[in-house]
Amino acid sequence: MWQKKKTILIVDDEQGLVEALEDALTYEGHIVLKASTAEQALQILKTQHVDLVTIDIMMPPGPSFEADIDSHKTGVFLCQTIKKQYPKLELFVLSVVSDIDTIRTIQKLGVTFLRKGEIPLRTVLDRIKAKLSGLAYSSDWEDDRRKH
Amino acid sequence: MSSKDELNDEVKTSAKLASELEKVKRENAALKAQLEQTKKERIEYLQNVSHQLVAPLNAIKWHIENLTAARVSPERARKVLSSIYSQSTIAVHLAKNFALMSNLEADHSLTALQEPIETVDLYRLMVNLADDFQPLAWDKEVHIKVIPTPLESAPPVLAMKKLISQSFSNIIENAVKYSSKSSDMIISGTHNAKTNTVSVQVSDRGIPLPSDVNLIFERGYRSKEAKSIYPPGTGFGLYIAKRIVEIHEGSISAKTDPSGLVVFTIELSIDKLKGRARERVAKEKDYPDRR
Repeated sequence: MWQKKKTILIVDDEQGLVEALEDALTYEGHIVLKASTAEQALQILKTQHVDLVTIDIMMPPGPSFEADIDSHKTGVFLCQTIKKQYPKLELFVLSVVSDIDTIRTIQKLGVTFLRKGEIPLRTVLDRIKAKLSGLAYSSDWEDDRRKH
Repeated sequence: MSSKDELNDEVKTSAKLASELEKVKRENAALKAQLEQTKKERIEYLQNVSHQLVAPLNAIKWHIENLTAARVSPERARKVLSSIYSQSTIAVHLAKNFALMSNLEADHSLTALQEPIETVDLYRLMVNLADDFQPLAWDKEVHIKVIPTPLESAPPVLAMKKLISQSFSNIIENAVKYSSKSSDMIISGTHNAKTNTVSVQVSDRGIPLPSDVNLIFERGYRSKEAKSIYPPGTGFGLYIAKRIVEIHEGSISAKTDPSGLVVFTIELSIDKLKGRARERVAKEKDYPDRR
């Protein structure tokens, strides 16, 4: 593999999807870490070096955040928190959420939004590869505008 | 009647009309608000349905892509196939629930459900369902155990097999979903000759039941603990399970025992549906083209 090994954190509670993404990223030569709540994800980021994070929107926030966070938007909270604490970390949102306000909020944070139900895994791998190697992929804002 | 009196009457009538108009306006506003609420609930329900169905199907797609692109070892491939199987189980289970749900919404009495009434061996049904859900349960290292004695020797019950199977499927799926990691799920049952019933128990160790247990069988209800573990659920599974048991004139209940074990009990009569089965045969004779 021409690329240096990178560490990718998958934050998602849907085990089937996580497994498939993990298989593919491992095959590409990456180290994969997993978290199924926002709280777990933030814990991992505190203790380990991570190059890129993929985030689901609808997932459990974790016991300490339960009272304050709507589990239908946990991913938005996680993006905001990570952007504040680790501004240089690359983030991808992988979700089936189709609410346009939520998508806009994510994109305004500079986070790439990919629709989990619509794209092949190959596309996700290509987008991640491009991001990690610093190559520009066409702007996600533009992508989204063309779609609608 | 003097003209003054007439005038007074007119004033009274118009005041009465005005107050009635106000009342109608208020009712109208209340109905509008109710309609908006129903619309909102329907949209949320549909979004939920789509999210829940898309997730397992998409996982299957990605798994197959990994297999065809040879991104996994032959050994890992076997595990991937098992994962595809359990994701398909979820998708089929959900699709069946949604189809049933639209029937339940369309006809509250459910008399229109023309499912055949047949004898059902509950032990065999439990074994089949356990086999179906075991791959999914393994993801959490949960072992589903069906205890043969004495359920194995219980007589079969008369039931609408497809429906009763979906009812148990909902109870078992619920127990798998909310079981703690590495725990056992036990399915057992007994025949009660006195009441001429067979009761089946599904027990698991996981999140506790709410203090008002009956809430869990209400349409759309989900406990705070359930939401925090699995956000996208619809809260329809146990409601559907209960409705189906009620059509069979059986009973369903749930309780937490002192050790924290959550136990669901379904009791079904062996021959209560006999009369209904006969009625149907008679009807079909009268209207042979209706099928």
